[in-house]
Amino acid sequence: MAAGTGSGPGGISIRALVKHYGTFEAVAGIDLEIRRGEFLTLLGPSGSGKTTLLMMIAGFQDATSGDIRLDDRSIVAMPPEKRNFGMVFQGYALFPHMTVADNIGYALSVRGRPRAEIAARVAEMLELAQLQGMGARLPAQLSGGQQQRVALARALAFSPPVLLLDEPLGALDRKLRIEVQEQLKELHRRLGTTFIYVTHDQEEALSMSDRIVIMRAGRVEQVGTPEELYSRPRTEFAASFLGKSNFLRRDGKVWALRPEKIDLSVATGQATGGRLSGRILSMAYFGSVLKYQVETAEQGQIEVDVDAWRGGGALPVGTAVGLDWSEQAAVLLGS
Amino acid sequence: MAALTLRTSGWLLVLPLLGLVVVMFAGPLFNIFWLSFTDPGPGLSNYTALAERESLRRLLWVTLRICALTTLFSVVLGYCIAYAMTHAGEGARQKMLLLLLISFWISVLVRTFAWIMILGRNGLLNNGLMSAGLISAPLPFVRNELGVLIGMVHYMIPYAVLPLLGAMRAIDGRVMAASRNLGASPAQTFWRIWLPLTKPGVIAASLLVFILSLGFYVTPAILGGGKVLMVAEYISVQVLITLKWGTAAMLAVLILVSVLALLALMSRFMKLSAALGGRA
Amino acid sequence: MHDKQFMRETAVEAAHAFRAGRLGRRSFLAICGLAGVTLPSVLAGRAEAAAGEIILWNWGGQSEECHGSAIGVPFTAETGMPLRFDTSGPLQGKIKEMVDSGNVTADVCDGDLFDAVALGASGHLEPIDYSVVSKEKTLPEYALEFGVSIILYGYAFMYDTEAWGENPPRDWADFFDLEKFPGQRSLYKWANGALEAALMADGVAPEALYPLDIDRALTRITAIRDNTIYWGSGSEAHDMIVNGEVSMGMVWQNRGRAIEERTNGRYRMVMNQAIAMPGAYIVPKGNPGGREAVMKFIAVSQSVEAQLGLFSCLGMTPTNPEAIARITPGDAPWAITSAENRPRIVLNDPVWWGQNGDAAVNAFLEAIS
Repeated sequence: MAAGTGSGPGGISIRALVKHYGTFEAVAGIDLEIRRGEFLTLLGPSGSGKTTLLMMIAGFQDATSGDIRLDDRSIVAMPPEKRNFGMVFQGYALFPHMTVADNIGYALSVRGRPRAEIAARVAEMLELAQLQGMGARLPAQLSGGQQQRVALARALAFSPPVLLLDEPLGALDRKLRIEVQEQLKELHRRLGTTFIYVTHDQEEALSMSDRIVIMRAGRVEQVGTPEELYSRPRTEFAASFLGKSNFLRRDGKVWALRPEKIDLSVATGQATGGRLSGRILSMAYFGSVLKYQVETAEQGQIEVDVDAWRGGGALPVGTAVGLDWSEQAAVLLGS
Repeated sequence: MAALTLRTSGWLLVLPLLGLVVVMFAGPLFNIFWLSFTDPGPGLSNYTALAERESLRRLLWVTLRICALTTLFSVVLGYCIAYAMTHAGEGARQKMLLLLLISFWISVLVRTFAWIMILGRNGLLNNGLMSAGLISAPLPFVRNELGVLIGMVHYMIPYAVLPLLGAMRAIDGRVMAASRNLGASPAQTFWRIWLPLTKPGVIAASLLVFILSLGFYVTPAILGGGKVLMVAEYISVQVLITLKWGTAAMLAVLILVSVLALLALMSRFMKLSAALGGRA
Repeated sequence: MHDKQFMRETAVEAAHAFRAGRLGRRSFLAICGLAGVTLPSVLAGRAEAAAGEIILWNWGGQSEECHGSAIGVPFTAETGMPLRFDTSGPLQGKIKEMVDSGNVTADVCDGDLFDAVALGASGHLEPIDYSVVSKEKTLPEYALEFGVSIILYGYAFMYDTEAWGENPPRDWADFFDLEKFPGQRSLYKWANGALEAALMADGVAPEALYPLDIDRALTRITAIRDNTIYWGSGSEAHDMIVNGEVSMGMVWQNRGRAIEERTNGRYRMVMNQAIAMPGAYIVPKGNPGGREAVMKFIAVSQSVEAQLGLFSCLGMTPTNPEAIARITPGDAPWAITSAENRPRIVLNDPVWWGQNGDAAVNAFLEAIS
C-alpha cells in the first residue's frame, strides 16, 4: 500500500513561481527541485512566503505566474482534489462531526472505494498511528497529540506520493514535540513518501530534514542538507537563522563563525594568544555548555560556547581572554 | 459556601421579577388552559371537537402545510443568502447584513400591500408581462396560497439567515481545504462537510421560522384573499366575533404545547451546536 | 385585526395619496413607519374613564372626528360633559371580556345591532332607557331592548363600467352569474351581507330572507369561490375594486360614493338589493359614566342635526325619519333608506344575526377556506 521508496512518483519541480496579493509579492520567483522520497523543509520567519508556497503546491492558492510540475506533468492549474497530495494542516483541521475512523477513511470514501477496503485501510492506519480502539471517538474527545496522529493518518490513508505538513507540531508542548519529531522521521523512512514540511523552528528543521530550504521575503535564500547549511552558510541571514553565528568583518568581507568553533584561552601577561583578544562581558550556564559574551576591540561582541565538561569552571566576568579558531571554521559569505 | 450564598442571594434579587412573571404570564396561560376545559361547559368537548369537526382538522392541516412550506423555502433561500454572505468580502458582507436588517423594520402590513401592488392582477409584474406579450391574462400570484407563501417567506428569510450565518461563520476554512485536499470535489465537500457542519444552524433556523410562522395572521388574511385560513386568524375570529372562547382556547393550547415541544427539541440541538461549534 | 385597522387604513390611504402624487415618497415612508410604530401606543391609549364624561368606543380614524363634531359638540354644549374616545374597535369579544373582567372603561359602543341581541341575552349590556331615548327617532324594527340603531350602513356591490359596456349588472343574480358576467368578485369575509346576497341571487324574495337558509346561501357562494376574493376591512374592499383586482366587488354602501367620485364614475355602485345594516349604540353593563348620562348621550345622537352631521361626514344614513326627510335630493341616491332607495333594498334582521351569527360566520369561513 505504501508508496515506493524513491522509485515511485513524488518528484516536484517548481519553476519561476510567483504569487502576488495585490501589490504585495508573497512569492517572488522561486525555482526548486524536490526529489522524490526526500524530507524537505521550508524554513523561514513568518512572512517569508513558505506557507504561500506550500498552499500553491497543495492547490489552495493560484500562482500568479510560473509552473509547478509533478513528475514532469504540470499541475499548476489543477484543482486541489486532483493533485493527490496528503496534507497535515496547522491545527489539524479534523472533521469535527466525524469519528476518527470516518476522518481517516474520508479520502478513500470520496473516491468511492468499497466499504471493506476502507475499513481495512482505516484499521491499518489506526495501528500505524497507535490509535487502536479510538476509531469510534470524535476528534473533540482526543488529546492534542492523538489529534495530530489522526491528521497524519488521514493524510496518508490514500497513500499519496507527497505529504505536505504545515507546522504540524505547533500546537504540541515541547516534550511531546521532540517525541513526535522522532516518529515523523521514522514514518518517512518507512513510507518513502516525499515530505514537504513547513516550519519556523530551526531545531525541527535540522533534526528531521534531508534538505532545508531557507526562505526570506518570498525568495529562496539557500538550499542544502542541514549539515551543508550549518557549516557553509552563504548569507548572514542563513547563518543567523539556522543556529547562532558571529560575523567577522574585514576589508569589506564577512565571515561567519559558529560560537562552538572558537577556542577560548585565559590570557597570561602580555601574550593573549589566538586571533582575537578581549574581556569576558557576561556568562550564561546551559548545563552542557557555558555561553560567554566576549568584548573585543576589533570585532565587537563575540559569542563563545565552551563545553562544560572541559572543566576549569566558569571564568569570572572581566577576565582577559584570547580567542582562536581553525582556518576552515570561519566561512566567507556572499560567494 | 460563599458561592452558595451568592447563588441564593441572586435568586432573592430576581424573586420580585419572577413573581411578576408568574402573575403576568403564567396567570393568563392558566386561564387559557382553564377556558379550554370549561367553556362553554366543563369537559373535554373542545378537544373532542377535533375528532368530530373536519373543518378544524383542515384548519390545522392548512396551517401546518403553510408553515412547513414557509420554513422550507425560507431556510433554503436563507441558506443561499447566508452562504453568499459568508463567502463575500468583509465590506460586502456588512452591506448585505444592513440590507437584511433593514427589512426587519418594515411593518408586515406595508410589506403585504407592497406585494399586492407588485404581484396583484393589475400589479407591476402582471402588467409588465402582459405588455411584453408574454401572457394574455393576469397570473394569480396573490390572493391565494401562493401569495401567502410569498409574503410569509419574504418576512421570514431574515430570521432564517441570522442563525445560519452564525453557524457558517463558525466553520474553520481549513476544514473545507482539508476535504478538497483529501480528494473531495467541491460538491462532495459541500454535502459531506459543509452541510453537516451547518446542520445545527439549519435546525435552529427551521424551528425559529416554523414557530414564528404559526402565529402569522395579517399576511395570510390579506394575501390569501380570505381563502387561506390559518389558525391564528381563526382563533382571533373565535375570540372576537363568534365568542367561541373554548374553541379558541383549545387551539391556543394545542399551538402552545406544540411550540413548547419544538422548543425542547431546539434546546437539545442548540447544545449540540455549541459542542460542534467549539471544535469547528 | 380590527384593532390594527386604523393603522392599516392610514397606511393604505397614504399609499393612494402616494400613487396619486399627492404625497411625497419620503412622507409616504414616514407614514408607513408610523403605522408600525404607533400601533402599540394606540393600543395602550385606551382611555381611562372618569365620572362626568362619556367614553365612546369606536373604530377610530375618520369616525372619531365625525362623532366628535356631529355628536360630541352638541352633547357637551347641552350637558357640560366632554366626549372622549377609545378607538380600539368594540368587537363582541372585547366587550364581553371587558364586562367579565369587571373593569369597564367605556360607556357606549359604536357597534352593530346584532351585538346588542347577542350580548344582551348573555347579560353583558345595560338595557336602553326608552324614557330618555326615543323609539320614534329610529326605525321601528331597530329599537331593541339592549341597543338602538343611530345610523345605517349596508352592503352593496360596485362594478367596473368598462367591463360589460351597455349591459351592466343590475342585481345579485348578475353578481353571482359568472357566465353572463365573467370576471373576479369580492365579498365580505365575515358572512354578513354575503349570505343575504347569495340567497337573493338564488331567487329568494327579499321579504322572505329570514331566517337565512345558510346551506343554500353557501352553495351559491362556493359555486363562485374560485373567482372570489374576500375582504375584512373597508379599505381592502376599496383597494380590490380600484386596483382592478375584481370587476364586481361588494362594498360597505356608505363608502361607494367616495369610490365613484374618486374614480370619476368608472366604478359604479348598484343600490338595487342593497342590504341595510343597523349600526347601534350599546352600553356595556356597569359603564363608568352611569346610566343616566349615557342615555342622555344616546338621545343627543338621535337628533336630526347629529344624524345629518354623521351622514355628511361618514356617509352613513340616518335612522331618524325626520332626518331622512331632510336629506337633499342630490344626496338621496346615497342614503340607503331614502324614499327612492327604500323599495329596492332589504333591511338586515339583527335578531336572526344576534342569535345565529356565530354559527353563520363559522360555516361561512369553513366554506370559503
